[in-house]
Amino acid sequence: MSDEPARVRGWAAGLLRWFSLRLRLMLVFGLVALTAAVSASAIAYWLNRDAVLTRTQDAALDEFRKSLKDDTDPLPSLPTCSELRDVAVRMADNTQKYEVLLITRTRDGESCPAASDKKLFTLDAVPASLRRAVDQKRPVSKGNSAPYHLYWQRITLHGTPYLVGGAKVNGGGPTGYMLKSLDTERQDLNSLAWSLGIATGLALIGAALLAQAAAATVLRPVQRLGEAAHRLGEGHLDTRLQVSGSDELANLSHTFNRAAERLQKRVAELSAREASSRRFVADMSHELRTPLTAITAVTEVLEEEADSLDPMIAPAVQLVVSETRRLNDLVENLMEVTRFDAGTARLVLDDVDVADQVTACIDARAWLDAVELDAARGIVARLDPRRLDVILANLIGNALKHGGSPVRVSVRTEGDELLIRVRDHGPGIPEDVLPHVFDRFYKASASRPRSEGSGLGLSIAMENAHIHGGDISAANSPEGGAVFTLRLPMDASRIASDEAADDPDRDRDGAFEGGGDDDGGGGGDNGPAKGPGRNEGGRP
Amino acid sequence: MTNVPFLLLIEDDDAIRTALELSLSRQGHRVATAATGEDGLKLLREQRPDLIVLDVMLPGIDGFEVCRRIRRTDQLPIILLTARSDDIDVVVGLESGADDYVVKPVQGRVLDARIRAVLRRGEREANDSAAFGNLLIDRAAMTVTKNGEDLQLTPTELRLLLELSRRPGQALSRQQLLRLVWEHDYLGDSRLVDACVQRLRAKVEDVPSSPTLIRTVRGVGYRLDAPQ
Repeated sequence: MSDEPARVRGWAAGLLRWFSLRLRLMLVFGLVALTAAVSASAIAYWLNRDAVLTRTQDAALDEFRKSLKDDTDPLPSLPTCSELRDVAVRMADNTQKYEVLLITRTRDGESCPAASDKKLFTLDAVPASLRRAVDQKRPVSKGNSAPYHLYWQRITLHGTPYLVGGAKVNGGGPTGYMLKSLDTERQDLNSLAWSLGIATGLALIGAALLAQAAAATVLRPVQRLGEAAHRLGEGHLDTRLQVSGSDELANLSHTFNRAAERLQKRVAELSAREASSRRFVADMSHELRTPLTAITAVTEVLEEEADSLDPMIAPAVQLVVSETRRLNDLVENLMEVTRFDAGTARLVLDDVDVADQVTACIDARAWLDAVELDAARGIVARLDPRRLDVILANLIGNALKHGGSPVRVSVRTEGDELLIRVRDHGPGIPEDVLPHVFDRFYKASASRPRSEGSGLGLSIAMENAHIHGGDISAANSPEGGAVFTLRLPMDASRIASDEAADDPDRDRDGAFEGGGDDDGGGGGDNGPAKGPGRNEGGRP
Repeated sequence: MTNVPFLLLIEDDDAIRTALELSLSRQGHRVATAATGEDGLKLLREQRPDLIVLDVMLPGIDGFEVCRRIRRTDQLPIILLTARSDDIDVVVGLESGADDYVVKPVQGRVLDARIRAVLRRGEREANDSAAFGNLLIDRAAMTVTKNGEDLQLTPTELRLLLELSRRPGQALSRQQLLRLVWEHDYLGDSRLVDACVQRLRAKVEDVPSSPTLIRTVRGVGYRLDAPQ
């Protein structure tokens, strides 16, 4: 349900991409081509149509006029119907292939229509307006030489276009009509229209191809620029564009290259500075370790002897012992932090029963009485057990220290995520402190008593969650007390294999880092070569 | 083997060497010390200690190299003392043949517990033997022969093989093996198992890269099978 808007957004983005520059270019090219082709075709069609029809019409009407005059001349003034039909048939036998209808008043005083083709050509086929025009007698004057004229009209009969013309023979002859099929002309014009249509289509395709080509020449550099910017954004600061030509795009590429170069230089400077300060912390904690090792090894001797010491000296010895432990923890945490900062921290994965692991963690620190555990057995996750232990120890230890018992730890699974909640019953975390609880050496308030922790615990817990591809969030429970929620993937091996190139020959399924051969020969040479360089100088 | 374990401590830092010697002596060990790898190797030949505690970073030849040289001739237990718990170093150390490792700064008690656990691995227990293909495990004599030929196994490798052979065909998880062989708590480093299995395979398998005896069981751990 919740991904519905996301899907719509994705769909809209897809649509937008379709309205990209490329599509817009193609649309414009297409429209231009369409307009040009359609107007050219229309003009050509109408000119052609006019020419064809006029020629056909003029030829037919000329012949009709001539034959009407010539063929009706021999007729008596009041011919019979059959005589009239003979003339009509004679007239219809012509080169222009038109049918003829003659009408005259017979001897009987009746009107006799005589057609060359009685079925097709009746008086009904002649439009009334044409008949009226033909029958109308106009007074003869200077501008009008004859009382009757030839009139014509184009009609459609049974779906076929026809030319119908008519005239009355001047000087009292019969009225003649002619009907010529324009089907051939129509067919010719139709095939012309088809050809023009196809030509328009071809023009459109050509325009689309041209647009595509134009888009490619413009868009390819733009796309390259986009890709380069994307790569740069992903952190590949050595990304550069090839500059060719001297157009606006080349100028843009040049600007891009300059910006990338400056960025790379700046980042290199910053990371060099950061690296050197990190190296200082790392080296320093290493250096602290050597004397600490010697001191730690003998504190136990001192501790065991404390009871038999002078009561004045015993507390001093106790102090030395306990503060040595603190110093050890601090240096250990500092080294852990530097490992995360340097990116050398690695996961050592194993299949772990989470409930067992949490129980063991609590048990090992003698917290069993202060912690309520709500965890089903049998939740097996693939993760780094030692890092999980560090996270749990820090979260639970923090809850016990600041929140007070009882601390409630619940383990749940949610999809392919493992959810561990640590809830205390203390006063909770002030709102202004919440965003900083995972900061290094962050102390909630200056007045707060010096805590036993190193100030790195929660930060290390967070780093350990991150290296698994998980996260920790801190919040206040509505019922009071702080709640820390740890989310870890049930299987962190994907993250681990992302981090290091896996050797497929190795039949271990864990994220066993280090590379090298099974006999240790190849891998063995890498470590020492890298290791001593860092510390040799400081060794006595 | 005398009742008092005889250890050789190879550590270049005077303070750490003195402190650890003091601490280990108090725990009831006899300790010989050397400041360099070369001296350590010489002492090893002269005095035949039961176990070596070896610092990784040494002037001259480093701990990994010392470890490799020892393994060429001797199978005695080696515990690495590493100042850097950087994972790569641990892996290299394990691959060069170390049985266990401790990270500096180490408490004397922890080191003592590890030493005793490693030494216990060489102790014999049952009086029987088992055969897996051409591999013969004699639990009475604590020897392993392959095609009648004696295999040189370190006590850790031997113990791992014994634990696996005690449950033939049954997969044992890395955590189980860590408890059984290394006596580590719930936070044992599973790479100890992986590295030791690799070394063991190199010795007992015909083709170590395609093992037929010690099989990997994905998502679980390892299993000892008799070849079909």
